[in-house]
Amino acid sequence: MTLRIGIDIGGTFTDLVAIAADGRVLTRKVASTPADYSEGIVAGLSALLAEAGGTVAEVLHGTTIGSNTILEGKGARTALITTAGFRDILEIRDLRMPRVYDIGWMKPPPLVERRLRLEVTEKLRPDGSVAVPLDSASIAAAIAMLRAERVASLAICLLHSYANPTHERAVADAVRAALPDLPVSLSSEILPEIKEYPRSSTTVINAYVQPVVRAYLTALAARLRAMGIAAPVQLMQSNGGVASAAFAAAQPVHIIESGPAAGVVGGAALAARLDEPRIITFDMGGTTAKAGLVEQGEVLRTEALEVGAGVMAGSRLLVGAGYLLKLPAIDLAEVGAGGGSICRLDAAGAPKVGPDSAGADPGPVCYGRGGTATTITDCNLVLGYLDPVGLVGGAVKLDAAAARAAVARDLAAPMGLSVEDAAAGMLRVASANMMRAIRAVSVERGRDAREFALLAFGGNGGLFAAAIAAELGITRVIVPPLPGVFSAFGLLAAETEHHASRSLRTPVAGADPAVVGAALAALEAAGAERLAADGFPVTQRAFRRLAQARYVGQSSELAVPLPEGEAAAWLAALPDLFGAEHARSYGFRAPAGEPVELIGLSVIARGIPERPRLGAAIPPATADVPASRQAWFPGTGWVETPVIDRAGLAGAGALPGALPGALPGALPGPLIVQEYDATCLVPGGWSAAVDTFGAIRLTAAG
Amino acid sequence: MDPITAELFRNAVAAIGDEMVLTIYRTAYSGVLKNIMDYSAALCDAEGRLVAQGLSLPGHLCSIPVALKAALAYFDGDIAEGDILVLNDPYEGGMHLPDIFLFRPIFSEGTVIAYAATICHHTDVGGRVPGSNASDSTEIFAEGLRIPPLKLYERGVPNRTLHRIIDKNVRLPGRVFGDLRSQLAACEIAARGMADLLARHGAAGVRALMNETMDYSERLTRHCLAELPDGEATFTDWIDDDQIDAGVPIPLVCTVRKHGESMTFDWTGSAPQVKGAINNTWSYTVAASFTAAKSVLSVNMPNNDGVFRVISVIAPAGTIMNALPPAACAARGLTGFRATDCAFGALAKLYPDRVFAAGDGGNTGITVGGYDRDRKGFIYVDFLSGAWGARPWADGLEGNTTMFANMASFSVEVIEAENPLEVLDYGFVPDTGGAGRFRGGAAMRRTWRMLADEGILQVRADRQTHRPYGLAGGGEGAAGRNLLNPDTPAEQVLHAKLTMNFRAGEVFRHQLPGGGGFGDPLARDPQAVAKDLRDGLVTIAGAARDYAVVARGDPPEVDLAATAALRAARRGATA
Repeated sequence: MTLRIGIDIGGTFTDLVAIAADGRVLTRKVASTPADYSEGIVAGLSALLAEAGGTVAEVLHGTTIGSNTILEGKGARTALITTAGFRDILEIRDLRMPRVYDIGWMKPPPLVERRLRLEVTEKLRPDGSVAVPLDSASIAAAIAMLRAERVASLAICLLHSYANPTHERAVADAVRAALPDLPVSLSSEILPEIKEYPRSSTTVINAYVQPVVRAYLTALAARLRAMGIAAPVQLMQSNGGVASAAFAAAQPVHIIESGPAAGVVGGAALAARLDEPRIITFDMGGTTAKAGLVEQGEVLRTEALEVGAGVMAGSRLLVGAGYLLKLPAIDLAEVGAGGGSICRLDAAGAPKVGPDSAGADPGPVCYGRGGTATTITDCNLVLGYLDPVGLVGGAVKLDAAAARAAVARDLAAPMGLSVEDAAAGMLRVASANMMRAIRAVSVERGRDAREFALLAFGGNGGLFAAAIAAELGITRVIVPPLPGVFSAFGLLAAETEHHASRSLRTPVAGADPAVVGAALAALEAAGAERLAADGFPVTQRAFRRLAQARYVGQSSELAVPLPEGEAAAWLAALPDLFGAEHARSYGFRAPAGEPVELIGLSVIARGIPERPRLGAAIPPATADVPASRQAWFPGTGWVETPVIDRAGLAGAGALPGALPGALPGALPGPLIVQEYDATCLVPGGWSAAVDTFGAIRLTAAG
Repeated sequence: MDPITAELFRNAVAAIGDEMVLTIYRTAYSGVLKNIMDYSAALCDAEGRLVAQGLSLPGHLCSIPVALKAALAYFDGDIAEGDILVLNDPYEGGMHLPDIFLFRPIFSEGTVIAYAATICHHTDVGGRVPGSNASDSTEIFAEGLRIPPLKLYERGVPNRTLHRIIDKNVRLPGRVFGDLRSQLAACEIAARGMADLLARHGAAGVRALMNETMDYSERLTRHCLAELPDGEATFTDWIDDDQIDAGVPIPLVCTVRKHGESMTFDWTGSAPQVKGAINNTWSYTVAASFTAAKSVLSVNMPNNDGVFRVISVIAPAGTIMNALPPAACAARGLTGFRATDCAFGALAKLYPDRVFAAGDGGNTGITVGGYDRDRKGFIYVDFLSGAWGARPWADGLEGNTTMFANMASFSVEVIEAENPLEVLDYGFVPDTGGAGRFRGGAAMRRTWRMLADEGILQVRADRQTHRPYGLAGGGEGAAGRNLLNPDTPAEQVLHAKLTMNFRAGEVFRHQLPGGGGFGDPLARDPQAVAKDLRDGLVTIAGAARDYAVVARGDPPEVDLAATAALRAARRGATA
């Protein structure tokens, strides 16, 4: 019996999901081991293998090691070589600050201190021609400094190297000759695109985390070998594709935001499996909620992200809080609302939720571990949505009376509301915050949320999904199998993917099809080469080609998928394709004839697996649940509400009272579907059923 | 009013403001809009009161209701569905000509419920110089196309007369109309968002909730004010000159009066309006006052009419803080920056543990315009900014936007790709941050070489004679400098504000001022000086001169014993 194993490392827990060839699914949640994350993995794996038996055919891994290394400032001692006169580009960043009016604002410290930002005499022009030849004496001086300061990793970013990499390569060759063991990251290889700050920042991040990631992956491989696991480790990239450990060790910049991507990728795979053309993913855990979007099988991507920027403050224009990574990544909007988020009234009496969290320790008031601030989990408990016996099958005991007292004292009394109205009100405020994240990936991108189904997971996703869906006009909610470890599950659905891009700036009208076509072919060839290295034969490769374009004079680009065919043909079609994309994203397009400019090209190369990544079904899980309990709903008050587990819901069969539009066998709300590590709330007006795959389907009465 | 419903409504209108801002950001043509974020969007009620403003430019705080009320006064009820109101006239609601306001009324059952409002700084609105923001114009008539409150669209139909006049009076009409489309798209976003809210709450409900949203801000502001001690303090800061009366310094005087739950910024005593184009309109002075107040009170206060009710501003007419026509005002950004510095200076006297020393004094505006060899026009508009004054608890920042304008840096590679200019350097200058227990931010500089045959270089800089102030014994930041052909025998020191020919091969360097320091420099931790030495932000000579820290070698090592001795001697000398 062979097993495929997904391993998702988070700050608190390491989640493992194993799917056996016969369809059996096993999961484990173990404490993460930040000193050496591979320890936690081994502990979890050992337990999993002891239970499942069999050999491991595949290991897919999502990890926060890249972002943690940056956040904790524990990367390699890194130097940066720049064009003379420009060593401060990295520290000046793009000047902008995320907190307007805040005198206390502190910039994140640069990943390379100023003394280690070295300059070489040279200068290229924007077309790649040489304005100032490369001066070898300045290279020698830089090498002397690298040696004297015992630098452990080097980034090189020279001006206009996207147009001509020869100066960067010459510097790298000289450095490698002198210091053969020093890892060198070249901006012309990591990100051959115009704009020196994003390119520098991205290249420096690669250099800074590379020795750490390489050491981690080497250690992990050794530990797995020691356990007798011969399967290679594959890593989730920020863009949602998987890549080999060798690639990740060389260009770790692609796996920085590896962790959060997996849930959306799982969502995309599940959407395809369930024939859902459009879904919004909604992942709500203990401290934050994250939203992503999947359309016709494609996940919504962003061209850049900031590592360590924390949750969005309501507007995604407030940049500068983290370290800029200019690479395609799954677009996730995150807000500080989770089960542990603190509920309070501000100085003027307005109810507020988060972004601060009581965390796991001391945690919510109801945990009885000394927490005194009322949290979202306390509100859910007060209203009867959570089992007063406790969470995770009773492993975490809950004190409902303490939660009720806290809500009464801190919220209900000052607002002049009943305890129930106050608790339900705070849940609505939290929902409104989370809707900002969902709007950020849908409405703000020109999409009508009502056309989407909401895929809710994470420990708290199912508690809020129906209420949020109702506010957004969404009528269908899906709660996937294994909602508490869905990100690890998503890893098992991910496919190999490589992204490559380059700047190529020209008005579309005057573009030379030969030049543009050759540039695109070169990107495809690079993708093909990487897929070949991953073992995909020619018949198992797919390419998606995109152009970054804008109206001449505009200062932001949009990515436009290109049709198959020769450059001359798609160049002729591009102005109209771009106009359509502009209208879709922003609601309007310029008058016909407005000139369009090509800014860059990119290619997504995909390895097509031999078999579909998701099997036929995930058997619905059972849990030890009571038959019913008292729960409070707005408008109706306290109601004795049925409680059921997923397996019970699946086996419920058609009962009288099903709502119009409900799936066969659906049960009407109010209803609580309680699982081992997650709860799904089905309010009145909604019905719930389990589909053939094993997902819970919530449907609003039509 | 149910507090939960009120909070949900506040969240919804804040989201509308942010989505409007985002729409402009993503669709704008002008680099000024995207890089400098020199635009704002807001939602106002039917009376023109500000309900919610999207987060973008602090300098626009309060300008929108002033402009909208001017337009409403002119049209006096003659507003129909499908109208789009427009204006840029500083003397009828506007600020300076490049800032074009658009307003779209939002109706419910035939009655105006709200207005979607946007303001964008356009690349060029005509007038005598490219970019329309020269500091040496002396009358508004030279500054460009002046649009009083008019309708850009009337009942959904474009006003062809106005469109044609704009088309013929601006240098890059494609860009102006592109940015106006972007403003219209933002208004459409607001209209959709308001339609949802009207469907949910009804017209009466939305009115009540808008009122509550403003009342809430008022309560919050009163609460913040009540926590602060009462007092009154006056501070004077200076603008070097207005370029016309070269060398004549211009005083700004701000008196802050705090009493109970109210605060007043009184600008009485500031200079009469000047000949050069740096005169503030009233709303810009208000924005500067509010920016300083917000930073000291609470950064989380929602921006709306409720705040304006308890913080008042007095600016006598005919002064540089509230000019009368036909004063020129295109480059009034400078006065806004200095007014913010001045208001902070007064607040620092009242609340010394909450306020930072002066930063580099706001951004420097640099424009190079002309024609390349094919007679194709180019306009390069750049703004530089970077050093913050030291905080009472931390060093000032370097390489960070000024607080009054959340601006981004213009990419060197993009500048070179789009303009006949070569950039020779861009970085920090050592020994420029004001000395102090906490050091002011280091100055930045940028240097350009002209590649086209000829163009016009315009610079609006300041703080070259009146340096950024320090606080609590901290030193001033270094002065800014403009140089022609630096580091050559032909080097020439230029005036802070200039309009001149810029010829092929000539090199221009702008160095910004450094930030002011906070506290006694002799009390600065020698290890902090050691870090500055290692970073090259302070030289060995500078460390000895400014901090009495003795260091030598490369990398520089601080000699703690010698430092202690030098500091003792320095203290003795001043005791």
